[in-house]
Amino acid sequence: MWKDYSLSYIKSNRSSSISVIVASFISALLLSLLCSFFYNLWKSDVDRIRLQEGDWQGRITGELDEVDLSTIQNYSNVEKFVVNTELSGEQELVVDLYFTNMRTILTDLPRIANLVGLESEAVSYHHSLLSMYLIRDPQDTAPRLLFPAYLSMTVMACVSLVLIIHNAFAMSMSTRVHQFGIFSSIGATPRQIRTCLLQEAGMLTALPILLGNLLGIVISKGVIAWANTIAVDAPGHIKTVWGYHPLVFAVTLLASCLTIFFSALLPARKLSKLTPLEAIRSTDELRLKRRKHSHILAFFFGIEGELSGNALKAQKKAFRTATLSLTLSFLAFTLMQCFFTLSQISTTMTYFERYQDAWDVMVTVKSTKIDEFEETDALSGLSGVQNVTVYQKAAAKKMITKEEISEELRALGGFANAPEAHVSSRDDGWLVNALLVIMDDASFLQYCEQVGIAPSLDGAVILNYIRDITNSNFRDPGRLPYVKEDSAATVLRQAGQEEITAEVPVLAYTREVPVLREAYGELDHYVLVHFLPVSVWREIEGQIGGTESDSYIRVLAEDGATLEELNELETMILGLISSKYETESENRIQEKLDNDEMIQGMMTILGGFCVLLAIIGLGNVFSNTLGFVQQRRREFARYLSVGLTPSGIRKMFCLEALVIAGRPVLITLPVTAVALGLMIRASYLEPTVFLREAPILPVAIFLLAIFGFVALAYYLGGRKLFRCDLSEVLRDDTL
Amino acid sequence: MEILKCSGVEKIFGKGDNQVAALKGINLSVNQGEFVAIVGASGSGKSTLLHILGSVDRPTKGTVTIDGVNLGTLNSTAAAIFRRRKVGLVYQFYNLIPTLTVRKNILMPLLLDKRKPDTAYFQRIVDTLGLSDRLEAMPDQLSGGQQQRTAIARSLIYRPALLLADEPTGNLDRKNSREIIDLLKLSNRNLKQTILLITHDEKIALEADRVVTIEDGRIVADESRR
Repeated sequence: MWKDYSLSYIKSNRSSSISVIVASFISALLLSLLCSFFYNLWKSDVDRIRLQEGDWQGRITGELDEVDLSTIQNYSNVEKFVVNTELSGEQELVVDLYFTNMRTILTDLPRIANLVGLESEAVSYHHSLLSMYLIRDPQDTAPRLLFPAYLSMTVMACVSLVLIIHNAFAMSMSTRVHQFGIFSSIGATPRQIRTCLLQEAGMLTALPILLGNLLGIVISKGVIAWANTIAVDAPGHIKTVWGYHPLVFAVTLLASCLTIFFSALLPARKLSKLTPLEAIRSTDELRLKRRKHSHILAFFFGIEGELSGNALKAQKKAFRTATLSLTLSFLAFTLMQCFFTLSQISTTMTYFERYQDAWDVMVTVKSTKIDEFEETDALSGLSGVQNVTVYQKAAAKKMITKEEISEELRALGGFANAPEAHVSSRDDGWLVNALLVIMDDASFLQYCEQVGIAPSLDGAVILNYIRDITNSNFRDPGRLPYVKEDSAATVLRQAGQEEITAEVPVLAYTREVPVLREAYGELDHYVLVHFLPVSVWREIEGQIGGTESDSYIRVLAEDGATLEELNELETMILGLISSKYETESENRIQEKLDNDEMIQGMMTILGGFCVLLAIIGLGNVFSNTLGFVQQRRREFARYLSVGLTPSGIRKMFCLEALVIAGRPVLITLPVTAVALGLMIRASYLEPTVFLREAPILPVAIFLLAIFGFVALAYYLGGRKLFRCDLSEVLRDDTL
Repeated sequence: MEILKCSGVEKIFGKGDNQVAALKGINLSVNQGEFVAIVGASGSGKSTLLHILGSVDRPTKGTVTIDGVNLGTLNSTAAAIFRRRKVGLVYQFYNLIPTLTVRKNILMPLLLDKRKPDTAYFQRIVDTLGLSDRLEAMPDQLSGGQQQRTAIARSLIYRPALLLADEPTGNLDRKNSREIIDLLKLSNRNLKQTILLITHDEKIALEADRVVTIEDGRIVADESRR
């Protein structure tokens, strides 16, 4: 009977089901996308771990002979073993093990060790890989927050969706309070009514949930393929191979069903708890429980304004989904646009524009010391190259005595505020980090000219400034002299073994930096930077050491080089050196394009979520307006009977549409203004710089789309209402 | 045999200064097979009494016993099942489910109980009420009189202990009103159905065996017309 009832209701009231169908489809789509993303993030992490750390699961280290290896191989759960030749020594073998059932590894591996006569200390586990399969050893204390993070984010998404979409169900159900009152009056129990409503929700949403889930999978595949295309040139990028697992589909389906179930259960419980009398007395008409004032609408638009204001207040619950979704989507869209615009301005100013004249092509020469690199001259000779610098960085330490601190720094308290991680106090002064930037000799000579000293390869140039910590503006930090400039030599110490020192003559103290793509003192404000030629480094390398593994080549092309010219230059450079060295290269214009594309990509994905959220809201608006004939014909018939003209009713519709679409703007504007003010302040940008780049067009398009669709919904609802004979309604008391 | 007993039933709506006493100590007893009319002016409390008797509302004070069941002891589920099995309700505005056929509307109390209808009894009712040829019609396709007859059929399908009719002719013309009253009398006589009819129309009330008059929430007259 309930099936008959629900089916016939659904068939004859398709419009009131639209909101429910749209809401459940989009919810399932969002959850499917989310779960698919999480699965692929997990999968990509697993792939990365396998690639970088190896795909072994357990490891046994010890003196093992052929018999032992045979014992290992014959252990029932061992799928295979591999002797790790890289790690194995002459005495001890390192055997990597792979298990058929990974879950029992924590008990199997010690047993195997025991069988081959080794202690449990001889075994080790690939914790990072095993933890990805939720296999945790109590001794593995590293925080593994991946699964809790995925779970909590999915639960948060489900709860948010329930809060947003339960109104769509409430609206669809509340149109039939009277009918359920009749059922109740003839003996339907609250449970029967609740079950009927939930079955109905199940019938309405089964297909949308399935389709939403499938579309979510397809979209996630597309997005990952697209993200791979964008990030293909990014250094260190590991291609994410899209994958899917039936279990993910089951989890997504379960999450979608639970979300829809609770969204339907909330209003169903409420409706089933109504007494038959309350339900029967309820009519589908809009009512206000107490007197409300619509001062602004009444002031500007007269009686039609007041009527539409009251009608909106009476429909507050029915439009709650629309209000929430449209406001959230518009707010999120606007904030996202502003955030990315600011971020783009900031990146352009602090990175691309700042280093525009510093580099065009950067090459990282892997695992190569600067003094081993021999192609500097050949690179300088390439056509289209303005200049080339090859450099490597090294970490050392330097002791600074109280007397050596500059007056300006001393006035600010010297090292009193320095963090212990960067500066350690000693009996005779403070031990600070010394960053050594070792440059090829020709570039160092040019740098000497740049700072105004006679070119020389006999010492170091010290970058003598420290950031003014009393000025927190990172964009334009104040700078103070760091040390007194009266020492003719600097004593560098080996990091970790500070008693080993090397003395280097100081050629100059300067505030000018060489033309490199480097920033100094960003994290450690107390670092003292030394620039030195490779000739000097060769002499002190034995004492100081501490070089980074890679060297860098900075290439500045001729002025006005185009992307094609830079690509050509990059190819020539790599052609010259890649046969001898392992390299990674970047190209300034390409990087800017990639960065722009990546930001656009992120904006498209987040914007897509905002659009989906807006669709839920618009679905609710359409559902309401298409139900006007059912809900509001008596109301409008009364208006007509007291002399309100059809154009007056149209005016009411326009006002209602204006308020529904305008409310998100009214809420968003002040919130955005405050958030934007904070963001601009935090990024130390001039507001006018932002205003010049403000994302007015996309925000306006989004807003116009909301206005357009709300207007369309009201137009269709109004047309339907005007087509029925409203005068009949007043005569028909049976309604 | 006493089928209905009300003792000191009071019903107060609202709180504080807005309190309105709709019923002020109603004592009423109805025997099986009686056809009782309750009359009173608009606002006298007769519909409130009917709602309490139909277990769709609860008294503020006093007890109501129908067929040996004290309605005050029932929770919402038990009250619904009681309504389904023991009470038939007929309203002025029919209250049919617009999306179900006449047949389904009539059988609804049985279907809610997952019971198979007694075909002979069903046929007897629809024949008596003149609905045999309209069973597959939708409520919208029926006249007012036919809709009310469907509502009466629905109220009788479970052979309730008590049939409560709230102004069943209030929305009908003279001819249809006559028909409905005749049908109620017929079911009272042929099916031994106890009926409590609420009306403000004294002419219709005179068709009943007994007329109870309510004024301002109190029973002011109780006349037997047998």
